[in-house]
Amino acid sequence: MTKKIFATLVAVIICFSAVISASAYTQEYVIDYADKLASSEIEELDLFAEKLESAYGVTVLFCITEGTGDVTADEFSSGTYGDYTDNENGIIIVHDDWNKTYFTFISGNAGEFLTDASVDSMIDAYDSNDSYYGGIYACYELAEEYLENGYSGGYVYDEEPLNNDTDTIGASEEKDGVSIIWLPVSLLIGLLVGFLIINGIASKNKSVKMQENATVYTRPGSMVITGSADNFLYNNVERREKPKQTEKK
Amino acid sequence: MSTILEQKCPNCGGAVEFNTGAQRLKCPYCDTEFDITAMPEDTSNQVEQINWNSQGAQWGAGETDGMSVYACNSCGGEIVADTTTGATTCPYCGNQVVMKGQFSGALKPDLVIPFKLDKKAAKEALKKHISTKKFVPKSFLTDNRLEEIKGVYVPHWLFTCDAIGNASYKAKKVKTWSDENYEYTETSYFDIYRSGNIGFDNIPVDGSTKMPDDLMESVEPFDLSQAVDFNTAYLAGYLADKYDVTAEESMPRANERIRQSIIDSFKETVKGYDEVENQGANMNVANGIYKYALYPVWLLNTKWNGENFTFAMNGQTGKFVGNIPTDKKAVTKASLLLGAGIGAVIYGLMWLIELL
Repeated sequence: MTKKIFATLVAVIICFSAVISASAYTQEYVIDYADKLASSEIEELDLFAEKLESAYGVTVLFCITEGTGDVTADEFSSGTYGDYTDNENGIIIVHDDWNKTYFTFISGNAGEFLTDASVDSMIDAYDSNDSYYGGIYACYELAEEYLENGYSGGYVYDEEPLNNDTDTIGASEEKDGVSIIWLPVSLLIGLLVGFLIINGIASKNKSVKMQENATVYTRPGSMVITGSADNFLYNNVERREKPKQTEKK
Repeated sequence: MSTILEQKCPNCGGAVEFNTGAQRLKCPYCDTEFDITAMPEDTSNQVEQINWNSQGAQWGAGETDGMSVYACNSCGGEIVADTTTGATTCPYCGNQVVMKGQFSGALKPDLVIPFKLDKKAAKEALKKHISTKKFVPKSFLTDNRLEEIKGVYVPHWLFTCDAIGNASYKAKKVKTWSDENYEYTETSYFDIYRSGNIGFDNIPVDGSTKMPDDLMESVEPFDLSQAVDFNTAYLAGYLADKYDVTAEESMPRANERIRQSIIDSFKETVKGYDEVENQGANMNVANGIYKYALYPVWLLNTKWNGENFTFAMNGQTGKFVGNIPTDKKAVTKASLLLGAGIGAVIYGLMWLIELL
């Protein structure tokens, strides 16, 4: 009996250890081949990326290298991450710090909300930051913003200038419909037009009117003009300033 | 020493002054200067000479023997028909008429245009006339008494003359151009004067008070080349109205149409302007004569909702006229439906534009 209890206890401990180790495993979202980041920074950034993945199902990988050897950044990325991206929704941003070049790869549904323009803006945010950590963090923050907007059915950042003001982004959502207040206005205009058309048709029911003149009874060829004068009286010249064209900013 | 003349400025209406030294007119209010020849001629006080002479014939002995006068006790209308005509209804109000007595008295018509279109053609024309109109009350269509349509010879006075007239117009020319900074509009004003002669033949004026003047003028024109000397035989089977508006009473209407014809015809000779507006006209009538004629008209008088509606067809050319009542409920319903449809389309387009 004691042996059985001990064996069960050992099995439970082994299983618990396996669960603990499994939960403690964190996928690498930030790969620093160039040693630009501290391990704590990598860990923090990985957590951010993991949060994005769990919230939106989109993986955002960021890789910093010091050159890509004899291959291009494109070949490097394909070789390193090609298999990974086949069945994933995500983006990969590879920064060759030595050659100062970038490569981006978007796969799956990620492209629906993270467009080329939005990835460019993420790279700009990374590039304009003084530190690698700050740059990647800013990049992830933008990714989060775009994903959040996209998933909530709002504005998808594409070619408009980058604007981090969420209020402005929210305001642009109003373009997706016409206010209901225009419905009675439209009806009023429609009724007015309808009234004019129908009354115009109804007025044709009246065909009786006095003749204006007796021209139809003019004797053919009898009109003779015996006196004619066209005298100029005066003239007015009005001058109006042309409207100035507004300069483009 | 300067002499001041009272003339109106064509620009602002102020009294212009004539400077005998400069031989020019100048408006002290708007500073516009004019040549003396440029001032519009005042045509308002010219005396018109309009004289009309009759060619009227009188009835010969026994000529009216077969004709009787029928009177309507409802509207007071009197019609003439041959004595064989039985009980009939008044073509103007639809009530029964009664024989009043033997026809006598009034001037004998000089001419008559015989009916060329029969009752069947008149009924068909009325059906066609109504069927092409919209919003006609259904009860009006069903209650229409087509059989009541009557051929009536309507008395007319025909005026023939040579009109000598003049007319003045104010005309405008507008020219626009622009430079780098400004747009210019030059408006030039002209005083136009035309005088001349126009001959008119047989301008008809309705000689019956019972027949609405606008209805009779609407069925014009009649082709008088097909008119024949009056003979009572042409009245057989038809009704005839006696004139109760004299030629003298009809002259103002003839003169009015002649004057407007002079204005309109002379205006057509004023060319090259952007706007031409008549300022007045005068006319004299020479060789003016008038005749008495009977014109053939098919008439139908019907009542709807307590209101009289009279339809007339030119018995010679078939031209059909007559105001038709409109079903106000149908008009309102159609207006609302069409309006709602247009409103929905406008709102839909707004959505489409917004989404695009």
